[in-house]
Amino acid sequence: MAGEASNAPDEALSVEPRGENLLAICFTAMASPCEVLLPSTTAPTAALELGALVAQEAWRVEKKFSRYRCDSVTAWIHENRGTVIEVDRETASLIDFAGRCFELSSGLFDITSGVLRYAWKFDGSDRIPEPAAVERLLPRVGFKKLRWQSPRLLLPDGMELDFGGIGKEYAVDRAYDSLAVRCSAPFLINFGGDLRANRPPLHGSWQVGIERPDTDRRATMILDLKYGALATSGDARRFLLKDGVRYGHILDPRTGWPIPHSPRSVTVAASSCTEAGLLSTLALLQGVRAREFLEEHGVRYWLLQ
Amino acid sequence: MQLELETRLAKAAHMRRQLMAASCALLGAAAARGQEARMAPADSGLLEDWSVDSALAYYHEDGRIQAIEPVVNIAKLFADGQALNFNVTFDSLTGSSPNGALTSRSAQTFASPSGKSAHAYTTAPGQLPVDPNYQDDRIAVGGTWALPVTRVDQLSVGAKLSDEHDFFSVTVDASIAHDFNEKNTTLSFGISEEFDSLQPIGGAPVPGSDYALFEKTGHKTKNGVGALLGVTQVITRNWLFEFNLSVDRFKGYLNDPYKITSIIDSAGNTTGYEFESRPDQRTRKSAYWENRVALGGQISTGLSLRYMRDDWGVRSDTAQLHLHWSFSNRDRYVEPTFRWYRQTAASFYTPFILSTEAPTTAYEASDSRLGAFHALTYGLKYAQKLPGLGGREESEFSVRVEYYQQTFNVRTATPAALQGLDLYPGLKAVLVQVGWRF
Repeated sequence: MAGEASNAPDEALSVEPRGENLLAICFTAMASPCEVLLPSTTAPTAALELGALVAQEAWRVEKKFSRYRCDSVTAWIHENRGTVIEVDRETASLIDFAGRCFELSSGLFDITSGVLRYAWKFDGSDRIPEPAAVERLLPRVGFKKLRWQSPRLLLPDGMELDFGGIGKEYAVDRAYDSLAVRCSAPFLINFGGDLRANRPPLHGSWQVGIERPDTDRRATMILDLKYGALATSGDARRFLLKDGVRYGHILDPRTGWPIPHSPRSVTVAASSCTEAGLLSTLALLQGVRAREFLEEHGVRYWLLQ
Repeated sequence: MQLELETRLAKAAHMRRQLMAASCALLGAAAARGQEARMAPADSGLLEDWSVDSALAYYHEDGRIQAIEPVVNIAKLFADGQALNFNVTFDSLTGSSPNGALTSRSAQTFASPSGKSAHAYTTAPGQLPVDPNYQDDRIAVGGTWALPVTRVDQLSVGAKLSDEHDFFSVTVDASIAHDFNEKNTTLSFGISEEFDSLQPIGGAPVPGSDYALFEKTGHKTKNGVGALLGVTQVITRNWLFEFNLSVDRFKGYLNDPYKITSIIDSAGNTTGYEFESRPDQRTRKSAYWENRVALGGQISTGLSLRYMRDDWGVRSDTAQLHLHWSFSNRDRYVEPTFRWYRQTAASFYTPFILSTEAPTTAYEASDSRLGAFHALTYGLKYAQKLPGLGGREESEFSVRVEYYQQTFNVRTATPAALQGLDLYPGLKAVLVQVGWRF
């Protein structure tokens, strides 16, 4: 979802063999490399057709919710600040979901926190914003300030909605649903590291490479996934460093300041990508308690401190 | 402290459920909307998700039987992992089948099993006696249902019916497979039971009775039980092996009602025949080991070895090597196969009975399938993927050709008078199969 360079998605698909037993249908969406893996016995024409089904869903979700596109629902909501609008059912269910997450995380997970980026530029420099600048943005943050009675929404002046935190995982699950009714063969959908598989490939499991963003090198860790979803949150390349203190890009929407000691990245396994993404994001928001949080929730996770 | 931890864990569990519920609410709503959208256009045919595998085979034995065999197999894999499979086979065999009697220097005349004089036949001197009126049509239907019981256990049940005008067979089987070691190992155990009913034309001969006396009884049965224990193991990403042990036991009328054995005198003259007489039970044990190895992206190979022995004294070894070579972006493949087979004779196998000698065993049979022989099979399959029809993803057209060559290794001393005759001609056969899977 987050993609500065994704104004015009490059709507192209390619099919390539992946190892001996798999075919990958590759495309770009949400500024990420995306792929669908199918058994290599799938005919290339069928693979392209199934891949297109997934890509259409990815591009549809991107087009609909990207805050970088002027024709998105997000842009339309922003244009209509201060007035009551009626959103479509899909948007309504996403806002409902975000609201539930806001409540459950006691305000840590907040789709209105995007405006804080006006103060914070995580470019590896030492430009820490003035506390006053952060302070000035806080009135524009807080899910509770929305007037939301599904499907009617009033977005107060100065506020923004950002579905970036859930959009990619949601797109994976939507694409998964549309592919699952068409394809009973084993498949894996991977949108830039957020992925979901229906069943293990013949004789084994999916070898999933998760990029472990490191400050000096980009290592990849290989995970074994049979079925279910994996989602990764965190980006170690986005930080500020001042006076020896590292300010990670995970901001606490309640204070407007980075959450100290949050892990660089967290990968969580769950049955749906949406749930996995939510758990990994919430873990990051726990800061120093991230590992404890994941342990308490009894999920399979991989944490990079 | 403990209380605090418990409270925290309880809270976490509660939150996890809430998060799960929130995710499900979001995705469930989406799925429901998707469903509405999908319901609108009428795009689902009843057979849409079934894969159909059909083949037509033509089998030709040099100078003997020929058969035409259409096979249709339909299968469906459900999203929840259940799989259904049905197949129908029809065989139509015509031609000449060896009756078990020995080649002689004189002409031999045989009555047909049906007793009809029009079907009596005479074999010329020096020729292997074969019944030229052999004709049999067989229809077989089978089905299997496999269902996952847990994430790592699969139960499978099946049934098979086979019907010919003189033979009816029902087989039921069940097996359970358990995956462990990250699904790299599968253990399976299966049992099967077979019930056969024989109604030979003209009645079932009394085993060992004189051919001329025509001592026959009515309908006969046999039945068998079998068990199989198997393990499949992924060794590396490119190497998989399977090892099976199986045992089965058949009881009942195990004779071939149409096979007779020549009785010859010391001069090599055929003086009569008697119906074969096999024991009324047979236990077979076999071990099977198969390796499948992927060599690079386009070539895979399989080597299988099988060892079987039974309490009739038959031991057999089979080795099969096949190569699967795909090319043109996996749109085509060729599969050469080579199979070597060797068996020893049953202890009571005898190509003829010497009237001058006292019988050494209570049983006798001259059926060449119980004799010692070895056989080589050379096969080649070519398959081409084609675009699917009617919304299907793909179809595959294939042609398979096999050549089979059997050579007998009879150790029995040939009476001097019969030397120079080809008493144990081998068998050459060709199989051509055209398949279409869609």
